[in-house]
Amino acid sequence: MLSPKRTKYRKAHKGRIHGEAKGGTALNFGNYGLKATEPGRVTARQIEAARRAITRHIKRVGRVWIRIFPDVPVSVKPAEVRMGSGKGTPEFWVCRVKPGRIMFELEGVPGPTAREAFDLASAKLPVSTRVVTRLGEEAI
Amino acid sequence: MADIVTIRAEARDRAGKGAARAARRSGRVPGVIYGEKLPPVLITVEPRELQQLLHRKGFFARLLNVEIAGTAYRALPRDVQLNPVTDKPEHIDFMRVGDKTRITVAVPVIFEGQDRSPGIRRGGILNIVRHEIDLVCSADNIPDRIVVEVGELDIGDSVHINKVALPAGTKPTIARDFTIASVAAPTAVREEQAAAAAAAAAAATAAAEAEAAGAVAGAAPGAAPGAAPGAAPGAAPGGAPGAAAGAAKEPAGKGKG
Repeated sequence: MLSPKRTKYRKAHKGRIHGEAKGGTALNFGNYGLKATEPGRVTARQIEAARRAITRHIKRVGRVWIRIFPDVPVSVKPAEVRMGSGKGTPEFWVCRVKPGRIMFELEGVPGPTAREAFDLASAKLPVSTRVVTRLGEEAI
Repeated sequence: MADIVTIRAEARDRAGKGAARAARRSGRVPGVIYGEKLPPVLITVEPRELQQLLHRKGFFARLLNVEIAGTAYRALPRDVQLNPVTDKPEHIDFMRVGDKTRITVAVPVIFEGQDRSPGIRRGGILNIVRHEIDLVCSADNIPDRIVVEVGELDIGDSVHINKVALPAGTKPTIARDFTIASVAAPTAVREEQAAAAAAAAAAATAAAEAEAAGAVAGAAPGAAPGAAPGAAPGAAPGGAPGAAAGAAKEPAGKGKG
């Protein structure tokens, strides 16, 4: 699973995800991509599950790029603990995703296979998505 | 060079974001035609017509006739602003070109012979480094595509710009011999190679340790020969990766709070 090697601060605020992505909205590597159409927090586990779904469907041919990285620690308070007494311990990593963000890219597979792989991956993600095609390629 | 396609446009009178937004509200895409040291012409185009052209290969390397109320402007699409979420066009720039204008244009690359390539047939992946190549050429002489032959590439081979026959009168903007594509080993082969390398390294370590143990045994006969070779190979590869992976998976500082 993806996680930062080291961080400046152990805990982060929850925050809110406003607006649309202003970078990472175009395909840079592959011919096909999976784009988020709503904001959300994608965990490292979900990214890994989606990546596995894609690579298993394309049977390890082609190439996959992950364009998001979970760098926000999420803390959780233990069960049956009263409120207060400080923030909980960091438990997992998430990536804040804004609408328009390309999350995965794929190359080296036919268009229909790419769409099937992205459909499987999309089912693992907490945000609604759309399959996008490079300009100049036929839309799938 | 491909035939020139005509796109119909309407003139708009006002510039600025208010006018552009008004054009979008009315269901059209605002745009501009500039260049040739003439005043810019503000236009709007039909989004559906533009979308169809956008998904043609080499849209930015294709001359268009932009027709406004009977006047045709010979222009090259230079930029398209897309909505980040819907990918619908929000604005388009056209540049007027004359007969002798020399321009930098991104020409799409077509890869041929993938079915003949021994590397790809063995399961290799065509790793495309450049989907487009920036060329300097005259406006009348824009190639609609650059064909790159990959039929002879094996795993680990690559094709560079110097090996590609460019059309006469064109020159790449990058002076060095840059890579266009390579054939990479498939994931399965890479994993096999990594496993083989790890096994070889483990064997070498074990052999070295056995030699060292043999030397010690020479000094104290009877004690070391059975113990040292058996312990070394199993311990090192099994212990380290698991421990390292476990540490990396946890969020920073877990367990401190």
